[in-house]
Amino acid sequence: METILDVQNIHTFIGQYHILQGVNVRVPQGSITALLGRNGAGKTTTLKSIIGLTPPREGKVIYEGKEVQGARSFDIAAKGIGFVPEHRAIFRDLTVEENLKIAERVKGDYLRKRDFIFDLFPDLKRLMTLSGTALSGGQQQMLAIARALVPENHLLLIDEPSEGLAPVIIEHMMKAIQLLAKDSTIVLVEQNFLVASQLAEYYVIIEEGRSVQAGNMKDLVNDKAAIHRYLGAA
Amino acid sequence: MNTFLRKNTVLLITLAAILALFIAAAQGMEKKDFVITLLRGLSVGSLTFLVASGFSLIFGLLDVLNLAHGTLFMIGAYIGWTVFVRPDTFVDLLTPLALILSGFALGDVYPLLATRIRFGLSLKRILPWALVFTSILLFGWILPRYPIAIWNVGNYGQSPVTYSFMADSGTRLPVLPAAFTEISAPLALIGLLLASILGAFGLALFNNTAQPLKLNWKKFISFAILLLVALLTFIFNDSLTAALTGLSSNWLFVIAVLVATLSGAGLGALIESTLIRPLYIRPIYQLMLTLGMSAIGIEIVRAIWGRPEFVMPKPAFFNGSGGVCPATNFADWWANNCSTILLLDGRVRVYNEIFIPIVGVIVLISIWMLLQRTRLGMVIRAGVQDREMVEALGINVRRVFTMVFALGVGLAALGGILAAPSMGLSNAMGESLFLNALIALAIGGLTNYPGAALGSVLVGLIQQFIIKYGQIGIAIPFTDIIFKPTPPLVPASTVLLMVIILLILPNGLLGKKE
Amino acid sequence: MTQPTNSRLSAFFSSNRAALLTLLALILLPFIVGMMDGESPMMVFANESGNSKFAQGLAIEIFILALYALSFDLIFGITGMLSFGHSMFFGVGAYLTGISIKTFGLSLPATLGLVFIAAIVQAILFGLVLPRVKGITFALVTLGLGSVFHIVVMSSELGPYTGADVGLQGVIVPAFISPANERLRFYFIALTILILVYLLYKRFVDSPTGRVCVAIRENEGRARMLGYNTFYFKLAALTLSSLTAALAGFMHTLYQPIVSPNIANMGFTVTALLIILIGGVGTLSGALVGAVVYRLLDFGLRRYIGESASFISGAVYVLFVLFIPFGIVGTWKMKSLQIKQGWQRLQKLFG
Ligand SMILES: Nc1ncnc2c1ncn2[C@@H]1O[C@H](COP(=O)(O)OP(=O)(O)OP(=O)(O)O)[C@@H](O)[C@H]1O
Ligand SMILES: [Mg+2]
Repeated sequence: METILDVQNIHTFIGQYHILQGVNVRVPQGSITALLGRNGAGKTTTLKSIIGLTPPREGKVIYEGKEVQGARSFDIAAKGIGFVPEHRAIFRDLTVEENLKIAERVKGDYLRKRDFIFDLFPDLKRLMTLSGTALSGGQQQMLAIARALVPENHLLLIDEPSEGLAPVIIEHMMKAIQLLAKDSTIVLVEQNFLVASQLAEYYVIIEEGRSVQAGNMKDLVNDKAAIHRYLGAA
Repeated sequence: MNTFLRKNTVLLITLAAILALFIAAAQGMEKKDFVITLLRGLSVGSLTFLVASGFSLIFGLLDVLNLAHGTLFMIGAYIGWTVFVRPDTFVDLLTPLALILSGFALGDVYPLLATRIRFGLSLKRILPWALVFTSILLFGWILPRYPIAIWNVGNYGQSPVTYSFMADSGTRLPVLPAAFTEISAPLALIGLLLASILGAFGLALFNNTAQPLKLNWKKFISFAILLLVALLTFIFNDSLTAALTGLSSNWLFVIAVLVATLSGAGLGALIESTLIRPLYIRPIYQLMLTLGMSAIGIEIVRAIWGRPEFVMPKPAFFNGSGGVCPATNFADWWANNCSTILLLDGRVRVYNEIFIPIVGVIVLISIWMLLQRTRLGMVIRAGVQDREMVEALGINVRRVFTMVFALGVGLAALGGILAAPSMGLSNAMGESLFLNALIALAIGGLTNYPGAALGSVLVGLIQQFIIKYGQIGIAIPFTDIIFKPTPPLVPASTVLLMVIILLILPNGLLGKKE
Repeated sequence: MTQPTNSRLSAFFSSNRAALLTLLALILLPFIVGMMDGESPMMVFANESGNSKFAQGLAIEIFILALYALSFDLIFGITGMLSFGHSMFFGVGAYLTGISIKTFGLSLPATLGLVFIAAIVQAILFGLVLPRVKGITFALVTLGLGSVFHIVVMSSELGPYTGADVGLQGVIVPAFISPANERLRFYFIALTILILVYLLYKRFVDSPTGRVCVAIRENEGRARMLGYNTFYFKLAALTLSSLTAALAGFMHTLYQPIVSPNIANMGFTVTALLIILIGGVGTLSGALVGAVVYRLLDFGLRRYIGESASFISGAVYVLFVLFIPFGIVGTWKMKSLQIKQGWQRLQKLFG
């Protein structure tokens, strides 16, 4: 299977703190790959390093065969990477519709994708004119994902989509992500191991800024020792 | 409605108090005084708004407190004056300016070029310095020898004051065209271009942060256009000058306004991309930097235009007199372009008290539309809240930063040139207006656009009412004493208002709570 | 604890060698300059005009500037409050001194007392806005207050007192410290005051109160969480700073024949910023170093370039901001990581 994203031994600094100290992630085309690890392990930082928000100081990020590390983050994103950040980052002063429109990379993106997005998240339809602040947590999460779907993205980086959501909504979210995985590749950061194990085909465990283990999710589910060691009791 | 009332009780009470104060102020004076004072307040408010709105846009999106904003307002006025009173100087400047800019227009090309060439480490360190230094030397050598017909600050007969005075009385002092000294024209032109490219290259090497992925061909087009402009303005210098000098003062004023605004915007873009950008990681230093720029700007103005104050003539459209003037109705005014018009018995200056507020309202609405209706506005509103996320969507926020900085400074410069015919030009004009703008923003809410407008109008009105009462005096109730506020009370009163409002509402009237 | 005094003394000397040598140099400065110019120490003592007297004058100006910059470093560099109205602290001292001596004929001690009272009052005035506004807004409010003071001083209504835009002149200084006839005495008094204030500041920063001030700079929220009422600490720093700046203003009026209204405007606050920026923000000694560099640079530039000197100093300032952000002393001390960390937090405070 072809590799769409290959993160090779990246080291990232925030200020003078050496946060990532050698992270390797290989993401096969068309798969869902989960980044696992305890709080503060460096999962979010890995995603941000891929998209260039915290550019790695060493190592390589190869996306669709080209090295993109060190490039400006909007250039990287414009190559077709969608980012759904940890705390959703909905723009408060924009309406829901504007939150979607702003993500257009080519004029007309929004109109082209609107129906697809409404199919995926029917709730959004009636919220279009509300301001970003008026949404509930779950609606914000839907909007954040929808926003990443507006432009033509080949790779989605989704950070903790289930955070703070009710079980029913998590169900819905999982279905949506599975649907998305049909035509794009997804890198998923997920604290909830149950959710991650159901969604992802592959996994990478990050521990204190290093990737320590990677492989098939099926194998990890049976590897109770690793789960216990790296992810705490789960 | 109820929740709205509950949430905004303090705000509403404050606004009501201000309104009551205003009505009380209106009671104390005759109708004609009231009308004039009101319009003057709006006029000062509009100018304040032009400075304040740009400042607050910049602060909102970039988090940069541009303390040089007042100085840039002043520079806008002086640039506009130059175009209006000395079009020949303006035309002379076009060629070297286009050449100097052309090197910087190439922008993204340099970092790419730098990655193609492999340097040794020590060379890599020295190279930027060497390039910038060579560029400065070249500029320093060529520019003094380049012919620009200019006034003479040291000689009263040829100083800006005299030129202004003569222009006001409708004559132009004859100007001797300047000529190249000790340097041949082609050498000077090519030298300027070279210096510009070297300088831009050097500066680009200094902030070697992230690299662009591919070349942008638009850069080469703008480079070519600038070169063409330089060449054309050089060849047709004389005819261009003649054309401008022959224009009516109205059209010349329009050109002056455009040039001042655009140069302000260009200056803003330049400042942001060269000086402010390296300091986004050190915000306090940005503050200090803009402070330093403000001091430098004033010194530059002093060196070029001199210290004495002078006035800028009003365009003929607002300067008519005699006949039926002051006009009593619109038709009379239109036919004679009277400088004043009678409104409810008050004698109102059309330019100062009607034209400026109208421009203020137009700008208010257009910026509002820009923010609410365009994609750029959407990006700005989003960027104010979360820059990283906007960037992660694939939008070049840096470029938006530069645009907003340019927009903000352009607005200040527009304010400057509009203010010039009414306030006159002085080295201190920026400072006092900037203070007004700061107070207006503190009152209205630092990053709130409608707040900037509200605060500016309040500041303008309060100042003008106090000035008026300084002339007519306030009868203190139940006594015979007539209290006349003295001029120092004018700024003091607005500051007082600011302090009071900040104590009640720390984020200003319309500012959002943190 | 029964260390022989001898070794303690030598330890003191060795650890403060640079400071003591500087002090010695400053004490000898008038005489050395005199000697180079062929004046005997007696002539220097007699305050005869010459290079020595001139150098003393320049040094006195530096001492006053250093005092003023120190006071700014205390609130900005140490406590992290960016005030743009600092020149008002200096200006109140300067103008009050001039007015009470010239217009009301007060004696020197009475004047000084008055100046100190005014200094405390204005610190409280600034302090009033402290609990409500922070960071950028504080900067703006203080800018507003400072500007009003400048405008009031410049107003023609107060001309008889302040001299309006001409400046305050004709203040008769008591003969025993007259800067013209007793300059050497003035020199040593100014030097002593500067040293005393500097030592006091050092003590203050090392004291528990001072440490809380540093904590406020680094993270006010955390300082408050630790149970400190940060308001009082900020007010304390502001008061000490105001007193020092007013003292500097007091000396400025005694020394200068004309008090220009420029000392009350925004530009003079920028001067303070510039000085501590050159020296190194938050280092205290940086204020001293910065004052020397700033004044000598300004003097040299004015002498050789003339009018456009302030343009050059503005450019120097910008270059410092861009390329030597930690200043001379700061860069010197950079090896110790802590300063750097503190700085980053300070920046975050305004970020
Ligand atoms: N701005 C910052 N300054 C200093 N340290 C930071 C900063 N941002 C992140 N860190 C540190 O980097 C480490 C990794 O953070 P990151 O957000 O990547 O963790 P994470 O794996 O996403 O954790 P979580 O599951 O809690 O979201 C953490 O120890 C965090 O404290
Ligand atoms: Mg995270």
